[in-house]
Amino acid sequence: MNRLSQLPTLRINPAQKISLNYKRKTYQGIGGDTIATALYANGIRIFSRSLKYHRPRGLYSLDGECSNTRMEINGIPNVCTENTLLKNGMTIKAQNVIGTAENDLMGFMDRLDWAMPAGFYYRTMHKPAPIWPIALKQVRKAAGLGKISPDFQMNGKYEEIYPKADVCVIGGGPAGMSAALTAAKQGLRVILLESRPWLGGFFDYRAAEYSNGIHLFERARELAKTVSETPNIRGFIHTAMVGAYNNNLITAFQVGGESDHFDERYIEIRADSVVVATGCIERPLLFENNERPGVMQISCAHRLARTYGLLPGEKAVFSIGHDLGLEAALDLSNLGLKISYVADIREDGQDPGLVADLAKKKIRFLRGWVAILAHGDKSVKKVTLSTIQGTHHRDVDCDLLVASAGMTPLTGPLTLAQAQLAYDNHTGCFLPKKLPVKMHAAGRLMGLNDPLSIEASGNLAGLMAAADCGATVEADLKQTRERLNDLPGPVRGCKLVQAPVKGRKSFICFDEDTTIKNVEQALEMGFDATELVKRFTAAGTGPGQWGIPGHNLPLFVAQYLEDSTVSARPTTVRSPLVPAFIATYAGRNHDMCKRTPAHDSQKSSGGIMRRSGVWKRARYFSRDSGCREEIENVRNNVGMFDASTLGKFRIWGPDALKALQRVYAGNMSKISDGKVKYAAMCNDDGCIIDDGVVVKRGENDYYFTTSTGRAGNTVEWFRYHTRYDGWDFHMINLTDAFGVINLAGPNARKVLEKVADTDVSNEAFPFIGYREFTINNEIPVRALRLGFVGELSYELHVPSSYMQSLWGLVAEAGKQFDIQNFGLEAQNVLRMEKGHVIIGSESEQRTTLHDVGLRFLWDRNKTQAKTVGAVALKQTEKQEGRLTLAGFKMENPSHTPKDGSIIVDSSIRGYVCIARFSFVLKESIGLALVDSPLAKEGTRLQIYEDECKGQHLYGTVVPTPFYDPEGKRLRM
Amino acid sequence: MALTITCPICDKRNGYEFRYGGVDKGPRPDEEGLTPTSWCDHVHMNKCVAGIQKEWWFHRDGCGAWFTIYRDTTTNLEVDKPEAN
Ligand SMILES: [Zn+2]
Repeated sequence: MNRLSQLPTLRINPAQKISLNYKRKTYQGIGGDTIATALYANGIRIFSRSLKYHRPRGLYSLDGECSNTRMEINGIPNVCTENTLLKNGMTIKAQNVIGTAENDLMGFMDRLDWAMPAGFYYRTMHKPAPIWPIALKQVRKAAGLGKISPDFQMNGKYEEIYPKADVCVIGGGPAGMSAALTAAKQGLRVILLESRPWLGGFFDYRAAEYSNGIHLFERARELAKTVSETPNIRGFIHTAMVGAYNNNLITAFQVGGESDHFDERYIEIRADSVVVATGCIERPLLFENNERPGVMQISCAHRLARTYGLLPGEKAVFSIGHDLGLEAALDLSNLGLKISYVADIREDGQDPGLVADLAKKKIRFLRGWVAILAHGDKSVKKVTLSTIQGTHHRDVDCDLLVASAGMTPLTGPLTLAQAQLAYDNHTGCFLPKKLPVKMHAAGRLMGLNDPLSIEASGNLAGLMAAADCGATVEADLKQTRERLNDLPGPVRGCKLVQAPVKGRKSFICFDEDTTIKNVEQALEMGFDATELVKRFTAAGTGPGQWGIPGHNLPLFVAQYLEDSTVSARPTTVRSPLVPAFIATYAGRNHDMCKRTPAHDSQKSSGGIMRRSGVWKRARYFSRDSGCREEIENVRNNVGMFDASTLGKFRIWGPDALKALQRVYAGNMSKISDGKVKYAAMCNDDGCIIDDGVVVKRGENDYYFTTSTGRAGNTVEWFRYHTRYDGWDFHMINLTDAFGVINLAGPNARKVLEKVADTDVSNEAFPFIGYREFTINNEIPVRALRLGFVGELSYELHVPSSYMQSLWGLVAEAGKQFDIQNFGLEAQNVLRMEKGHVIIGSESEQRTTLHDVGLRFLWDRNKTQAKTVGAVALKQTEKQEGRLTLAGFKMENPSHTPKDGSIIVDSSIRGYVCIARFSFVLKESIGLALVDSPLAKEGTRLQIYEDECKGQHLYGTVVPTPFYDPEGKRLRM
Repeated sequence: MALTITCPICDKRNGYEFRYGGVDKGPRPDEEGLTPTSWCDHVHMNKCVAGIQKEWWFHRDGCGAWFTIYRDTTTNLEVDKPEAN
């Protein structure tokens, strides 16, 4: 197809050839093409098949207002080809077709529309119930837009930015640019968002006169140049605004250009004031086959020629209701389009100059006429025109039918911001009535049409926004208001909703194949509000949301209900206003995690590092996921474990003890010097949220640990529960400041003796003791003698910077005993054998301190009461019907149930928290939370494991600890 | 999060940085004489006012302070302390 190459409005570069693949052929597009215009230039007219009826669909709006031109591009479904710039080598596929878009084997669906009235899914396929799953499968197969492969990998770079601005202007047309320039002149920082890849809006492609011999497109370029030269305006082009939230938070998606380092990015803007200048789209004309390829809106036809150099057809008929249609007809006629008829819905009110020019061009002009039927199976061949009363008809051959009923302000951003809209009888549009604070509207959105008025309203909005930001602009405001008043106001709009047709094939929503007839069916069934009609007919629920049906649907409903005041409102729109990649929402997908100070040492010792909460930790030290060697080495010899992820805190100050008393269930005044106190925290429901140890390092000075998962919340928790008290204490989170080695096993002391600068004999440093000493005459160590894994063990806390050195020293000292690392999994088995719980493994949200058998950690007689959780602990002490933690061993040790398997009889009685094969006991053992009567020793537990195929597993409740019940090994 | 919150230490910041701490209910009641119901009510029941409420926020990704603000729950905007009536 030859391009018009001399037009000054063009946005293409014919010298740049771009190839694309479609239907196993290579086609050529040129620089500046969208995918859609490139296909159009190559003679493609049918882009897709519709959702339900598989009707052929083609170019209609050129702004992605409907799913007509959504296609699969390089494996990505539902790409809006009208808004996506062509890139070399793109592979394009039509959607919802079997065969090709031109010859779709499902095309017969169009003749079955009688079988699919409004709401037919809900009404026909639910009785008898078993039909539904079968029907659902077929419906899914036949209907739908693009498909995505489950293992599809989204390539590309996605980013996010969070800029702040004084004024954010949405829409880079004449009104938006005027507003931005006006606000910027006041010295304010302005962000300007434009969804197309250039500024200019509805001036950009028009050759009509602006004033004094300047054309509109020249004016647009002049404004755009000034904007780009204004340093305090940050313009984002190819950036669709998608969300507006209170406090003037605006979100947008930007498509990256050639030189950008991202493909798409999410932009979240905080602005003090917002100007919405999104302009208008066209209101579709409703007649039979109104979406047949070859039927398109005014600006679609006009922009194809003026922006992309493509004459939209050869022989055209216009059926319009707005002067823009007359202007486009004249301009396109000048560019070589043969136009036989221009049917104008309006009886009068046209610009006389345009009408006279049409006559000069010998284009027949019909007032009060409208298209009622487009002929042609796959594209328009002929159109039937009719008087709007339906009294006279005339058939006209054509291959292009430019059809549009009028203008629709793009109020989506205002609706999202909860502005109030009202129907305006003069323009026939929904116009902003009440705007949220610090939000202003300008331009065609206000019903304006005159170029100077549009700019003046932009100036005014820019000044009002500046005033919001504290600029002194009273005089300017007054002057601009007066100027705007002297300029032409909103023009009378065409109000025709539906051509005189029955409407069986008149589509009010293209995305969902909703016809006028469907809407009538819904109304007849009693859905008498637009929102209900929308839900029942699905009109407006497709990817175009509001674009096609948004204005016509409420008008049609109002007309049907004989509501002359049109109290109906456009249905709700939701963000994102335009479809966006989930990849863009996901952004860079930063996988940020913490590494312990012994990370490198562990890794070089063969540690297999896995993500665990916010940390990366060593899970295993061999390929054996059962960790037999690691476990047995701790039981029989000595192992070392990186426990640096433990939460570690210092709390000090005159009221430190009070704070400890408040949050810990136990009596924290009973902490002896040189001794560790095991303690637990509950929430106000008495549910256990944390356990750890506390030591007293000095007067009003404590050091304590929390479980890994609670480290991030502990300061917040202390401060929250003391927020009314005004106590004087300080807290510092030392989690990252200290590393921890757990040295465990019968030979642990022999290793420690070699490096410690102090006596660590059992007498000098007994079980549950706390000591501070140095290692190698330098490294300051806080040592806690604990026994989480059930063996003689020392937790050595050292400043993180010493961790790697200490790790090396301990490893070196342990060499002669064949010391080994052990990882998380080995620790998990070891502590389970010892019956030690991990909060979150043996407890869940509802588990109280009583339930896990840690009641001894609660001091019911604590003075200075008001302990968090104490009230609930008292009240649930003897509560029945709770779950209780019980140990069990399996009858068949060769099959260990998976964690999370459920305990059943005739109902669910509990679940397995953890179960493992114990190498030391040669049994399969575990811990389970079960209904308390089942926790009695000797009870047989029936365990249902996933995919057990009815073969239950059996275990018996036994006392814990399973291993070393007297606790001799901890005290060795 | 569209909400901005004014921290007494860090001033007005993005709501993302804060954690909500519930409506202000006053200090913990005395433990004597509490029934399970009255205790549950204290812990879990909220008035859910449509309008201005005083509530706690924690500057989690900031200075670590707990403080109260007034917020209009119908607009989700922080507001000045209402006049005593
Ligand atoms: Zn702060």
